[in-house]
Amino acid sequence: MREWFAALERPVELLVAVGPEQTPPAGARDVDFGAEMVKVCEGLAELGDGVTWRVEDEPDGFPRFPAVSIRPDGRDAGVRYDGLPWGYELGSLVGAILEAGRAEPSLRSESLAELEMLDRDLVLDVFVTPT
Amino acid sequence: MLLAYRCAFASERVAATAIEANEFPQLAQELGVWAVPRIVIDGEPRWDGAVPEPEFLRRILAAA
Repeated sequence: MREWFAALERPVELLVAVGPEQTPPAGARDVDFGAEMVKVCEGLAELGDGVTWRVEDEPDGFPRFPAVSIRPDGRDAGVRYDGLPWGYELGSLVGAILEAGRAEPSLRSESLAELEMLDRDLVLDVFVTPT
Repeated sequence: MLLAYRCAFASERVAATAIEANEFPQLAQELGVWAVPRIVIDGEPRWDGAVPEPEFLRRILAAA
Protein backbone atom coordinates (compact mmCIF):
# COMPACT_ATOMS: atom_id res chain seq x y z
CA MET A 1 0.00 0.00 0.00
CA ARG A 2 2.98 2.31 0.57
CA GLU A 3 3.86 1.96 -3.13
CA TRP A 4 0.32 2.84 -4.13
CA PHE A 5 0.26 5.92 -1.93
CA ALA A 6 3.73 6.98 -3.11
CA ALA A 7 2.31 7.06 -6.64
CA LEU A 8 -0.46 9.54 -5.80
CA GLU A 9 -0.43 12.40 -8.28
CA ARG A 10 -2.00 14.94 -5.94
CA PRO A 11 -2.44 15.21 -2.16
CA VAL A 12 -5.48 13.65 -0.51
CA GLU A 13 -6.97 14.89 2.73
CA LEU A 14 -9.13 12.74 4.98
CA LEU A 15 -11.57 14.83 7.01
CA VAL A 16 -12.81 12.66 9.85
CA ALA A 17 -16.11 13.58 11.47
CA VAL A 18 -16.36 11.80 14.80
CA GLY A 19 -19.73 13.26 15.75
CA PRO A 20 -21.14 14.05 19.15
CA GLU A 21 -20.24 11.92 22.11
CA GLN A 22 -22.86 9.20 22.38
CA THR A 23 -23.58 5.77 23.75
CA PRO A 24 -22.18 3.08 21.46
CA PRO A 25 -24.91 1.25 19.51
CA ALA A 26 -26.23 -2.07 20.77
CA GLY A 27 -23.77 -4.83 20.08
CA ALA A 28 -20.86 -2.45 19.88
CA ARG A 29 -19.67 -3.40 23.38
CA ASP A 30 -17.18 -0.72 24.37
CA VAL A 31 -16.06 0.15 20.87
CA ASP A 32 -15.69 3.88 20.31
CA PHE A 33 -16.40 4.04 16.60
CA GLY A 34 -15.21 7.63 16.27
CA ALA A 35 -11.88 6.88 17.92
CA GLU A 36 -11.49 3.78 15.75
CA MET A 37 -12.14 5.84 12.64
CA VAL A 38 -9.41 8.27 13.70
CA LYS A 39 -7.01 5.35 14.18
CA VAL A 40 -7.82 3.96 10.73
CA CYS A 41 -7.23 7.30 9.00
CA GLU A 42 -4.12 8.04 11.05
CA GLY A 43 -2.75 4.64 10.06
CA LEU A 44 -3.48 5.21 6.38
CA ALA A 45 -1.82 8.64 6.45
CA GLU A 46 1.31 7.08 7.92
CA LEU A 47 1.66 5.04 4.74
CA GLY A 48 2.28 7.99 2.44
CA ASP A 49 3.21 11.67 2.59
CA GLY A 50 0.47 12.44 0.10
CA VAL A 51 -2.27 11.50 2.56
CA THR A 52 -3.14 13.78 5.46
CA TRP A 53 -5.97 13.72 7.96
CA ARG A 54 -7.73 16.01 10.39
CA VAL A 55 -10.64 15.65 12.77
CA GLU A 56 -13.74 17.70 13.42
CA ASP A 57 -16.67 16.81 15.65
CA GLU A 58 -19.66 17.72 13.48
CA PRO A 59 -18.60 19.48 10.26
CA ASP A 60 -21.24 20.70 7.81
CA GLY A 61 -22.54 18.15 5.33
CA PHE A 62 -22.13 15.08 7.54
CA PRO A 63 -25.51 13.50 8.42
CA ARG A 64 -24.03 10.41 10.10
CA PHE A 65 -21.07 9.68 12.35
CA PRO A 66 -18.39 8.60 12.32
CA ALA A 67 -17.62 9.36 8.72
CA VAL A 68 -14.73 10.41 6.57
CA SER A 69 -14.67 12.73 3.58
CA ILE A 70 -12.01 11.91 0.97
CA ARG A 71 -10.76 15.18 -0.48
CA PRO A 72 -8.44 15.60 -3.48
CA ASP A 73 -6.24 18.64 -2.87
CA GLY A 74 -8.35 19.25 0.25
CA ARG A 75 -11.42 19.95 -1.92
CA ASP A 76 -14.83 18.53 -0.99
CA ALA A 77 -15.64 16.33 -4.00
CA GLY A 78 -18.78 14.89 -2.41
CA VAL A 79 -17.12 11.58 -1.54
CA ARG A 80 -17.63 10.07 1.92
CA TYR A 81 -17.54 6.80 3.80
CA ASP A 82 -20.14 6.75 6.58
CA GLY A 83 -19.35 4.34 9.37
CA LEU A 84 -16.21 2.50 10.26
CA PRO A 85 -14.73 0.62 7.29
CA TRP A 86 -14.22 -2.75 8.93
CA GLY A 87 -12.44 -5.64 7.30
CA TYR A 88 -13.03 -6.00 3.59
CA GLU A 89 -14.58 -2.54 3.35
CA LEU A 90 -11.26 -0.93 4.20
CA GLY A 91 -10.59 -1.58 0.53
CA SER A 92 -13.33 0.89 -0.43
CA LEU A 93 -11.68 3.64 1.59
CA VAL A 94 -8.24 2.82 0.19
CA GLY A 95 -9.75 2.75 -3.30
CA ALA A 96 -11.30 6.17 -2.75
CA ILE A 97 -7.92 7.55 -1.66
CA LEU A 98 -6.24 6.14 -4.77
CA GLU A 99 -8.98 7.58 -7.00
CA ALA A 100 -8.75 10.97 -5.27
CA GLY A 101 -5.01 10.95 -5.85
CA ARG A 102 -5.36 10.60 -9.61
CA ALA A 103 -4.80 13.73 -11.69
CA GLU A 104 -7.22 12.42 -14.33
CA PRO A 105 -10.46 10.43 -13.87
CA SER A 106 -10.16 6.68 -14.31
CA LEU A 107 -13.55 6.25 -15.98
CA ARG A 108 -13.80 5.31 -19.66
CA SER A 109 -13.97 8.27 -22.04
CA GLU A 110 -17.50 7.21 -23.01
CA SER A 111 -18.54 7.33 -19.35
CA LEU A 112 -17.04 10.79 -18.90
CA ALA A 113 -18.98 12.01 -21.94
CA GLU A 114 -22.19 10.58 -20.46
CA LEU A 115 -21.56 12.31 -17.13
CA GLU A 116 -21.16 15.58 -19.02
CA MET A 117 -24.80 15.18 -20.05
CA LEU A 118 -26.04 15.39 -16.46
CA ASP A 119 -28.15 18.49 -16.04
CA ARG A 120 -28.84 18.12 -12.33
CA ASP A 121 -27.09 16.93 -9.19
CA LEU A 122 -27.21 13.23 -8.21
CA VAL A 123 -26.63 11.74 -4.78
CA LEU A 124 -25.46 8.12 -4.85
CA ASP A 125 -25.58 6.15 -1.60
CA VAL A 126 -24.13 2.67 -1.69
CA PHE A 127 -24.91 0.43 1.27
CA VAL A 128 -22.10 -1.94 2.10
CA THR A 129 -21.16 -4.40 4.84
CA PRO A 130 -17.75 -5.49 6.02
CA THR A 131 -18.11 -9.12 4.90
CA MET B 1 -18.48 1.12 -4.59
CA LEU B 2 -15.52 2.35 -6.57
CA LEU B 3 -17.62 3.12 -9.64
CA ALA B 4 -19.78 5.48 -7.60
CA TYR B 5 -16.67 7.14 -6.20
CA ARG B 6 -15.14 7.42 -9.67
CA CYS B 7 -18.26 9.15 -10.95
CA ALA B 8 -18.17 11.62 -8.05
CA PHE B 9 -14.51 12.47 -8.58
CA ALA B 10 -15.17 12.90 -12.31
CA SER B 11 -18.29 15.07 -12.05
CA GLU B 12 -19.15 17.95 -9.76
CA ARG B 13 -22.79 16.97 -10.25
CA VAL B 14 -22.33 13.59 -8.53
CA ALA B 15 -21.85 12.90 -4.81
CA ALA B 16 -21.15 9.38 -3.59
CA THR B 17 -21.22 7.91 -0.11
CA ALA B 18 -20.59 4.39 1.11
CA ILE B 19 -22.82 3.67 4.09
CA GLU B 20 -21.92 0.82 6.41
CA ALA B 21 -25.31 -0.86 6.77
CA ASN B 22 -24.64 -2.55 10.12
CA GLU B 23 -23.76 0.73 11.80
CA PHE B 24 -26.85 2.53 10.57
CA PRO B 25 -29.49 -0.20 10.88
CA GLN B 26 -32.50 2.12 11.06
CA LEU B 27 -31.61 3.81 7.79
CA ALA B 28 -30.79 0.45 6.22
CA GLN B 29 -34.16 -0.91 7.32
CA GLU B 30 -36.03 2.14 5.99
CA LEU B 31 -34.42 1.59 2.59
CA GLY B 32 -34.97 -2.15 2.64
CA VAL B 33 -31.34 -3.12 2.55
CA TRP B 34 -31.25 -6.92 2.53
CA ALA B 35 -28.40 -7.40 0.10
CA VAL B 36 -25.29 -5.38 -0.61
CA PRO B 37 -24.19 -3.41 -2.37
CA ARG B 38 -27.57 -1.66 -2.55
CA ILE B 39 -27.51 1.46 -4.68
CA VAL B 40 -29.75 4.33 -3.63
CA ILE B 41 -30.08 7.40 -5.84
CA ASP B 42 -31.49 10.61 -4.38
CA GLY B 43 -32.96 8.60 -1.50
CA GLU B 44 -34.69 6.02 -3.74
CA PRO B 45 -33.48 2.39 -3.69
CA ARG B 46 -32.57 1.42 -7.25
CA TRP B 47 -30.81 -1.93 -7.46
CA ASP B 48 -28.66 -4.47 -5.64
CA GLY B 49 -25.33 -5.82 -6.75
CA ALA B 50 -22.36 -4.75 -8.77
CA VAL B 51 -22.77 -4.00 -12.49
CA PRO B 52 -20.21 -3.18 -15.20
CA GLU B 53 -19.29 0.46 -15.79
CA PRO B 54 -21.40 1.04 -18.94
CA GLU B 55 -24.48 -0.38 -17.22
CA PHE B 56 -23.79 1.61 -14.05
CA LEU B 57 -23.65 4.82 -16.09
CA ARG B 58 -26.78 3.89 -18.00
CA ARG B 59 -28.69 3.31 -14.78
CA ILE B 60 -27.65 6.48 -12.98
CA LEU B 61 -28.34 8.60 -16.06
CA ALA B 62 -31.77 6.99 -16.34
CA ALA B 63 -32.42 8.01 -12.74
CA ALA B 64 -31.41 11.63 -13.40
